[in-house]
Formats: sequence, structure tokens, C-alpha cells
Amino acid sequence: MIEVKQIHKSFGQHEVLKGVSLQVAQGEVVCLIGPSGSGKSTVLRCINGLETYDRGDILIDAQRVDVRSPSIHQLRTRVGMVFQRFNLFPHRSVIENVIEGPIYVNRIAPEVARKAAMVLLDKVGLAQRCDAYPSQLSGGQQQRVAIARALAMQPQAILFDEPTSALDPELVGEVLAVMRTLAAEGMTMIVVTHEMGFAREVADRVCFLHDGAILEEGSASMVLGTPQHGRTKDFLRRVLGPQAGASTSSILTP
Amino acid sequence: MLLQNMLDFLPILLRGAWVTVEVTFYAFILSSLLGLALALLKMSHWRALALTAASVINIIRGLPIIVQLFYIYFVLPEFGLQLSAFQAGVIGLGIAYSAYQAENFRAGIEAVDPGQIEAAQSIGMRNPMILRRVVLPQAFRIALPPYGNTLVMMLKDSSLVSTITVLEMTRAGQMIASSTFQNMTVYTMVAILYLLLSLPLVFVVRRLEIRSGKGRTK
Repeated sequence: MIEVKQIHKSFGQHEVLKGVSLQVAQGEVVCLIGPSGSGKSTVLRCINGLETYDRGDILIDAQRVDVRSPSIHQLRTRVGMVFQRFNLFPHRSVIENVIEGPIYVNRIAPEVARKAAMVLLDKVGLAQRCDAYPSQLSGGQQQRVAIARALAMQPQAILFDEPTSALDPELVGEVLAVMRTLAAEGMTMIVVTHEMGFAREVADRVCFLHDGAILEEGSASMVLGTPQHGRTKDFLRRVLGPQAGASTSSILTP
Repeated sequence: MLLQNMLDFLPILLRGAWVTVEVTFYAFILSSLLGLALALLKMSHWRALALTAASVINIIRGLPIIVQLFYIYFVLPEFGLQLSAFQAGVIGLGIAYSAYQAENFRAGIEAVDPGQIEAAQSIGMRNPMILRRVVLPQAFRIALPPYGNTLVMMLKDSSLVSTITVLEMTRAGQMIASSTFQNMTVYTMVAILYLLLSLPLVFVVRRLEIRSGKGRTK
């Protein structure tokens, strides 16, 4: 469904993506992991056309993602995005955030959009806060609203750019729970994350990025459990802490 | 005697005050529209447009308002553009203030988090809609206190159009004073009337500043 073929991207002199390829099938959950600066977020932003790429191709259902093409807007409605810092519209209430796209982009009747939005807000557990403003919500609640906003466009896939990195530790769980539900329902998801527990549990595939290239790719148990590459082992040792250092496979059988 | 004088002067000054309000009102609208246009042009990705807008803003800011008014009222007729004193006053003041308005708006727009634009793009919005539904409403909130301050300054600077014979409050006062020599009475009344117009605005702006300060910390 989403096909990334050998994309290259430079910021000035610095090449951040050095030929990244990735294929995601319908209903698949793929986690991108790797140290900061490895290019994981950039890959995600290229897929949604928030960032241009210099070489290679990104195809969504065989349609090329091209920021300059007039079809980019239509393409973006098919792939939702959830940001690290939520990026809710602060001047609009929770429900207004969710219905903004359906009403103003998809031209759906307001009553219909409102009803659909309430169903989504109920799904993320925030129906009773529909008239609150983002500033009145916790980070976890805001991120759940952001997920509902992405879902409201009825996308074929959702990209998550470190969705829990800006959250206090005690709020991470509620967001991951919503994402788990989506995965179980068969939503196609690409998730940039540092939550190895989530990756292990939910991901069909894990890709380890380092220095602008995918070094290792495979099932969660393979990449996280028996990493082949020295860089991957290094990285996992660092994010999982010293207690998991001796045997990274211990995270698979806690 | 003094009271009688004051009662005689008041209707004339009030008529002038009404013109002051009118000049300020129209010039404020004009300066807002021009200012927004200049701000958007200055932030354009087209280098030539951005540079032109920046130059226009600098030229306007570098000229005294009185000189701009004289130019529009006394020089433009030589090129065949004859404006009434009122029109010239509104246009001159509007153009002179558009540069400051542009900077206010630009600061407001630039203060909007770029993540907001990305979020809007990610739900498929096109640029004009992003500007209208996401950026400008937030920029306007940020720019509201300076916007209100500009209105107060403009109300006071509208007295400058007296120099091109617009019969607003200052000029009305001047004319009464020069024919009656009651300088103290007349100009005290003019000053008080200006305060009655500007102080309520000052308080409204103050309220807006407090409110927007709260909004940011929330």
C-alpha cells in the first residue's frame, strides 16, 4: 500500500536519508526505531509530503507522493499523521478539531461530521470532553484527540511521529492503548517510536534506522530479540537500560 | 462667562470630534487591509515580491506622516489626482500606518507554531484555507494587543490631518482659539475630549493584553 523506494534527502551538505526503502502492506503495523538523527521522522514526513525528497520514489497505492503535484492535498487525506507535539488547533474545541477536516476539506455536512466525530471521541475515551479546549487537556488526552482528528478523515493509513515522546511517563499508556486498538482493527500504521514494549507487542515488522539507512529489518522478535547488527545491539542496550544489557531477548519474555 | 464660552465652543468641538472618529475609523480599516497585504507579501516565497513589500514598508516608515499627507494632498493634484482633504487625510494616514500594521501582523503570523501548518496540511488543507482557518485566527489573537495600541496611536495622530485643512477636532480648536484668543479654555477642552476618546480604548487594550497573557500560560 505504501512503497518507499530508495529515497535520498539532504539538508544542505548533510545527507539525512541515504537510500531508504520500505514497503508497508494494507493492515500492517511497522515500527521505525533508531537513535535520534537517524532519519526516522524524516522518512515519515516524506511519506506525508511534509518534506520533499531529492531522489527515489514514494508511492501510495501506486500514486507518487510529490509535494509540487496538485494531487498532494488529496493524497494527504488518505494518510493521516499524528505528531510528537500533538499540534491540535488551540483556538478550536476538541470536537471542532476533529470535524475541521471532514467539514472544510471533505465537505461533509456538519451534523453528519459531528456525529461521526462523537463516535471517534468515544473510541479514544474523550466524548465527555468534546467541548473542552486543548489547553484544558493533559498531554495524553490531547494526543488522543489528535488521533481522533486523523481518524476523522478516514485514512487508509496513519503515520505516528514519536506520539508518546512529549508525554509524561504516566500518560504514555493511555495513548498506546488507543494505538493498540487501532492496530487490532487492522489500521495500517507506521510508527516512529522509542517504546520498545509497544513495538514488540504490536508491530508486524520493526525497522532499525541508523545514519539515514535501514540497517536491519524483520519481525519484532527478530530485530529486538536477536539483533544481527552491532549498531542495533548497541542501540537496544542503550534504550533498554543496563538490566537488559546482558541479554536483549529478556525483553521478549519479561 | 467661562461656562458660557465653554457651552458655545462645545458643539463646534464635538462636530470636530466626530470627524476625528471618522478619519480614524476609515484610516484604521485601510491601514489594516494594506498592512495585512504587505505582511503577506513580505513573507512570500517569491523573493521579488518579498523585497518589494519590504522596501515599501521601509519607505513608508522612513517618511514623516505630515510629509506623506502633504504629498497626497498638494502634490498628487499636479498629476491629475484631486482628492478632498478628508479623502487625502484618510488615505495618507492609512498608508502611513499600514507599515506598522504590517509589522504587527507579520509578528503575529510568525509567532504561530509551524506545527499548526503541518497539522492542517496533514488533513489535506490547501494553503489559502490554512491561512484563513488556522494561521490568521491565531495570529490575530497574538497581534490583538499591539493592534489595539495602534488604534490608540492613530486616534491621536489623526490630529495631523488638520494640517491639510480637514476640520477635525484639533483644527476646530485652532480656529476657535485664533478667533477668540481663549487658548487655555479651548485647548484644555480639546485635550479632555481626546482623553475621553482614547482612555476607554487604552483600557480595552489593557484588558486584551491581560487576557492574551493568560491564554499563553494556560
